[in-house]
Amino acid sequence: MTSRLFWIAVALAVWAVLPFVVPRNIADLLVFTGIYSIAGLGIGLLLGHCGIVNLAQATFYGLGAYASAYCTVMMGLPSAVGFVAGAVISMALAYVIGRPILRLTGYFLALGTLALSAIASALFFEWDWLTGGTLGIGGIPKLDLFGFVLDRPSRYYFFVWIVAFACMAVARNLVDSRTGLMLRAMRDSSTAAASLSIDLQGLRTRVFVVCALFGSLAGSLFAHHASFVSTQSFTVDRSISFLLIPVIGGATSIPGIVAGAVFVTFLPEFLSKLGDIHQILFGLALVAVVVMLPDGLMGAVGRIRAWHVARRGSDAG
Amino acid sequence: MTLSLVLQAVFAGVTNGMVYALVGMGLAAIFKGSRVINAMQGEFSVIGAMTTVLLLTKAGWPYPAAIAGGALAGALVGAFIEVAFVRYMAKKNASEDSFLLLTIGLALTLSASILFFVGRDGHLLPPLGGEGVLIVLDAVIQFHALWLIAIGIGATLLLRTFFHRTTVGLSMMAASIDADGAATTGINVARMRTFTFVLGGVLGAAGGILVTPLIGVDYQLGLNLTLKGFAAAVLGGLTNPLGAAVGGLTLGLVESLAIIGISSSYKDVVAFSVLIVIMILMPQGILGRAGRRGG
Repeated sequence: MTSRLFWIAVALAVWAVLPFVVPRNIADLLVFTGIYSIAGLGIGLLLGHCGIVNLAQATFYGLGAYASAYCTVMMGLPSAVGFVAGAVISMALAYVIGRPILRLTGYFLALGTLALSAIASALFFEWDWLTGGTLGIGGIPKLDLFGFVLDRPSRYYFFVWIVAFACMAVARNLVDSRTGLMLRAMRDSSTAAASLSIDLQGLRTRVFVVCALFGSLAGSLFAHHASFVSTQSFTVDRSISFLLIPVIGGATSIPGIVAGAVFVTFLPEFLSKLGDIHQILFGLALVAVVVMLPDGLMGAVGRIRAWHVARRGSDAG
Repeated sequence: MTLSLVLQAVFAGVTNGMVYALVGMGLAAIFKGSRVINAMQGEFSVIGAMTTVLLLTKAGWPYPAAIAGGALAGALVGAFIEVAFVRYMAKKNASEDSFLLLTIGLALTLSASILFFVGRDGHLLPPLGGEGVLIVLDAVIQFHALWLIAIGIGATLLLRTFFHRTTVGLSMMAASIDADGAATTGINVARMRTFTFVLGGVLGAAGGILVTPLIGVDYQLGLNLTLKGFAAAVLGGLTNPLGAAVGGLTLGLVESLAIIGISSSYKDVVAFSVLIVIMILMPQGILGRAGRRGG
């Protein structure tokens, strides 16, 4: 246990020092890693604990981003209002849409959420009085914490990651609570869970709403970081890359989500140095992960550890 | 809303619907044979159409030979995907979701490859049957669209005959319904699965080649076709390739009637909303249980 605490302390120290020692573009990517971790966390909850493939996260990400952009730029309201408005709208939408859509299962549900993302991305494009269409909304102010302006990636980094850690704590709590027990019961045997009078549909909807909340928070954070939002950021492609985060990292593990977020933010950036071929390589890397590491990166780590322990055991015996 | 406007919308709807039907039939055939939802079905279309374009313009092949080459390319890619990836993952009992993610990854890779090797420009193919048009009550339909519809109907009927009358088709159905039972009667289950991917590849390529003279092909076309094909297949009940034809036509008609009823920019919104509603209210597809027996 002490070695575990030791490693957590090391990780925290690295985390605190990191933005000051890396170049600005890397610090920028680290901010995005935090934002993507938040968005991916919600999808991980759905995928890992409910077995739901959510391909609609870009919808809620977009709602959060547009709420922040519209409230601050068009209405001149404080940025906190944007965060709250985005979260409330996203959660309400997730509840209203979630109840009927979450009756679907398996592929149908995956397709339903994909259709939702396609609809939202078309509406973001069409409602240009609200979203600015392809021209987008620019000039979103940087966040200001009691006079301390988060205008540099190294400053914003800490804010984003503290929000991310808070979300992780919420997710962790949810999984460890009664709700988490019900979720596990539902995932392992939905018939048995239903016979124990667990409201499966209500439970799924609740997790979907939490997922939407995380998506919207990530979107608002993105808007204040990029200071410009346009329809290109909220397409079906973005929903797919959000889904990849828990898939690559491992859906039930929180470090796995962060690893997945690192994968989808850093890998394309490094591969892009190789020229135009980088998108092909990213696709191949993804295929390789899916084929070779079915439980994601964290699953692989777990297997290596188990193998290690087994070997040490056999050496001793 | 005049009669000729409605007729025009119906023409456009049937034409587009036939393309969705071809892509959707390929998807349904693959799902039927392997329980894999193929999220790269639209990439088969792009590969088929791009190969045809390149053979025609760069290699100077005659048009019919180039079309055959495009269809062959779809078949080969389908076979390759099955042998190289699906077979390995099926052996390890991969989950439904991992197959979905595999094909999403492959779709990204293929579309990036086309961007890298062919470029971002769109390409057109010459229309079948020349540039002529048929005019009915002031509504215009291109000869090419008539060819497209005829080929689509032909492919649907052929597919039905294939699954009901030929040994290979029946073996493919048997292998998908009960793999162990099929194996005991001497059916090579893995090979049947390869055949379903070849079939899916050819149908996807056919859809792509036929749609290119109308809207052109570029590296981004795949995702949109996959979504519409998916919708067509689900409307038809997913396990029934012939249902996908009905689903595709329904989707095409709903879309084009929505254009004259609402606005052209809401085409996709209407199409996908209809999809969600049908999935919730009619989970067996629009043909219901009866349709499930059809394929």
